[in-house]
Amino acid sequence: MEFTGTQLMFIIFSAIIVIFSILTVTSRRILRAAIYLLFVLISTAGIYFMLNYQFLAAVQLGLYAGGIIVLIIFSILLTSHISQKFEKVEWKKSVFSAIAVIAGIIVTLTAVLNYQFEANNAITQEVDMNLIGTKLLSYDRGGYVLPFEVISILLLASMIGAIVIAKKGKKV
Amino acid sequence: MNQDALILFFIVAVFLVGFAIVFAYIVAPSSVNPQKSEAYECGIPTKGITWLQFNVGYYLFAILFLIFDVETVFIFPWAVVMKQMGMVGFIEICIFFFILILGLLYAWKKHALIWE
Repeated sequence: MEFTGTQLMFIIFSAIIVIFSILTVTSRRILRAAIYLLFVLISTAGIYFMLNYQFLAAVQLGLYAGGIIVLIIFSILLTSHISQKFEKVEWKKSVFSAIAVIAGIIVTLTAVLNYQFEANNAITQEVDMNLIGTKLLSYDRGGYVLPFEVISILLLASMIGAIVIAKKGKKV
Repeated sequence: MNQDALILFFIVAVFLVGFAIVFAYIVAPSSVNPQKSEAYECGIPTKGITWLQFNVGYYLFAILFLIFDVETVFIFPWAVVMKQMGMVGFIEICIFFFILILGLLYAWKKHALIWE
């Protein structure tokens, strides 16, 4: 079986994602888990780049890798038991979770393999910034202007919520 | 973007970083002594755990940063099609900005932007 470059890249990226996802949930130091999660998110951005979703990849890098991880790290540093190392998981627990995970994998794989995927004959349209911008601001049928404005309300609500929670109990 | 360009970029990136690390490992003289693990030049040796709990202000700043970060994600597509959307797009983005500036004003009013 021969690999093309694209397939090889996909294998590399998915291997990074799988390995670091496992490390994220098994790491016993919480700050390291956050950094492993960062690697997972960056490799996901790599897969988006492979699929030619530049905008989504940029969002993934800018928001998830740049913003969310910073937020997660700050919230870890806010807690008082940062340096605490989690205790080793009992072997019984790890055996049962391994069984649960393998069962989950089997169910998913059989479902995916049994499904008859049909080739999509529709012409694939390149999703570029121009298309996103036009769709986002158009008020015609199929335009997204209402969600666009609702998003600003959502952002406003989250901003106010964050300020209220962080400033709780302090006199302004 | 071209797939080949991405692959080339990946290979060059891996090679560049890997080469620097391997080259430094081979070339650099290694000497280990206890002084090297000490705090550099100033300060007393630390005792116990040196992690300290962060001020909640960092969290507040991080979340405000994140919200404006999300906002830029929605402004970029508008900026690309600004000319062709014309006045309608401009009014829509003005409403968008107005709602978000309310949030900024709220943060300002509640002294969330002041470092304590």
